[in-house]
Formats: sequence, structure tokens, C-alpha cells
Amino acid sequence: MLMPKKVKFRKQQRGRITGKAWRGSTLAFGDFGLKAMHCGLITDRQIEAARIAMTRYIKRGGKVWIRIFPDKPITKKPAEVRMGSGKGPLDHWACVIRPGKILFEMEGVALDVATEAMRLAAQKLPILTKVVTRDMQA
Amino acid sequence: MRKDITIAAEGRVSRGKNEARRLRVSGRAPAIIYGTGRDPVAVAISPKEVNKILLSSTGHNSIFDVAVDGGAPEPVMIVDWSYEPVKGNLLHIDMQRIDLTKRIKVKIPVHVHGEPKGVKQQGGLLDVVTREVEVECLPDDIPADFSLEIATLEINQAIRASDLPMTNSMKLIMVPETVIVHIVAPKIDPDAAAAAAEPEVIKKGKKDAAAPAADAKAKKK
Repeated sequence: MLMPKKVKFRKQQRGRITGKAWRGSTLAFGDFGLKAMHCGLITDRQIEAARIAMTRYIKRGGKVWIRIFPDKPITKKPAEVRMGSGKGPLDHWACVIRPGKILFEMEGVALDVATEAMRLAAQKLPILTKVVTRDMQA
Repeated sequence: MRKDITIAAEGRVSRGKNEARRLRVSGRAPAIIYGTGRDPVAVAISPKEVNKILLSSTGHNSIFDVAVDGGAPEPVMIVDWSYEPVKGNLLHIDMQRIDLTKRIKVKIPVHVHGEPKGVKQQGGLLDVVTREVEVECLPDDIPADFSLEIATLEINQAIRASDLPMTNSMKLIMVPETVIVHIVAPKIDPDAAAAAAEPEVIKKGKKDAAAPAADAKAKKK
């Protein structure tokens, strides 16, 4: 599972997700990509599930890049604990996704294979996505 | 590459994000024209026509004419542009005036053709490392792209920037050893390996479970 090696602070405030992904919104490595159309948080488990879904479908034909990294700590209070007494312990890691962000990229496979692999990966994610190709962008 | 296209542009007097937003709503896009030692001119231009040029075979290396406020057309090239990340609309365009007698630096796209031997027969993976090659040439000598035939490429073989054909006034600017495309050995995915290993483990388990039972029967006899 992806997680930072070292962080400055163990816990973070939740924050708000506003605006669009002005960086990381174009294909940089591969021929095909999965682009986020909504904002949200994607957890480390969801990234891993999407990656496995993609790599299992394309078998050993192509190459996959993960363009996002879960660097936001998400805390959770244990079950049946009264409110108060401070913030709960770390539960998992997530990454903040803004609309337009390229989540995954792929190369070395045909368009139909890439589209199906991306569709399978998108099913593991909590946000609406679309498949983009290099021909679409100038 | 020179294109016989003339785009009309209007000079912009007002500036700022609000004015730019109003301009975009009206179907125009803010742009700027600079270069050849003259003052920059802020203009409004049709994003549809610019998009057509960007998505053409010659792409951003197309040299076309822009007539500002009905004046004399001057040759320009698109040097920078920005897209809206979700809808993909053109937000702003930078155009540079081109002196057709002077050498300019351009980025030429690389396109690969054919299925490499290293992928088809040896099970390798095609990796296009560099998608644009920077060259210096006269504006009339800019090629549309570098078309590479990679059918004979084997595993661990690469095509480097120095292997690209430089014709007419073209001169390579980037490091000649830069890898353009290569065939790499496939990386074994640990998940796939684990998935393949799972049935074997179950078989072993069954064998192991059956073996002590057989031993016990033999001892009873």
C-alpha cells in the first residue's frame, strides 16, 4: 500500500476540496490515461485495487503509471468511544483529487484493451472518471 | 512547417481576469503576440481556429499568418497554450513572430510505427521515452514529425536522438545519447506471481494432508 516514508505532522485537519487540477492534468508518460471528473478523496486501498484490476487485465503487455500519491493522513475514532478526548488514531492515507487530475496512465497496449482496463480500474474508485488519449490533447 | 492560413485577431485594450472571462464567454480567447524585437501585442483570437492548427498534423510547429485589426498579416508560431483541465477549452495562447530567414528552436514530435520484434517474439515491452526532439532549423525546413520504423528493434535495443535523420538546415540540440524509444524486459508483477502461485499452494496442502493420513493407515496395518 502506498504511504509517505516520513511526515512532518502525524494528523491533519480535513480541509475543503476546491478548484480544479491545474497541475497533473495532461498525459505525461503513457498514451492513455484515466482523468478525474469530480473532486474527492482516493484512499491507498482504492489506488491499489485499481492498479491490480488494471494490471491483471492487461496481463504483461503494458506499463502502468500511478500519477497520484496518498499523502493525507485520515484518522478515525475507535468504535463505541464517546466524543471528545482528542483526535482519533491514524486509520489510513488518502490523496486529494480535484477535477481534471490524471490518476493513471498506460502504454504498450491497444486502445480497446486500455479502455477496458481503465473501466475496471474506475469501478474501484469513488469518483467519476473518463478515459483520455494522447490524440485528444495537442 | 508553413501553412497558408490567415487568422484575424483584434487588439485588446482592457486587461484582467474579469475581462478575459467575458472574452471567453463571447467565444474568443485572449492571446499575445511577441518576438522579433518588437513590442508585444495583446489580442483576442478565435480558439476554434487555433485548436484546428494545434490538432493538425504539423501541430504547434505550424507557421501561419495573423492579421491584427485588419493590418498586414505577419507569420507567427504557437509557442505556448493552456487548456482548461476538465472541459479542455483553450484559455490562452502565446504566439511568436517568426523571421523566416533566421534559425529557430522547435520541438518535433516522434511517432513510432510497426510492432517490434522484441515485443512480438521476445515478450518485451515498448517504452517511448522521449516524445519530442528539440532541433534548430530554418522555419521552412521544420518537419511535421520524426517517423520511426521500429519493427526490427529487439529486446534491450534502443533508438537514440543521434539516430534520427537530420535533413536540410536541421541541427540536433538535445544530448545525442538521449533514448527515444527502447524495448525493455517485462517486469514481473508480484500480484500476478502470487495469483499464479496460489493454486500450487492448495495442491501442496492437499498432498500434505493426504500423506499423513496414508502414513497412519500404513502404521495401523
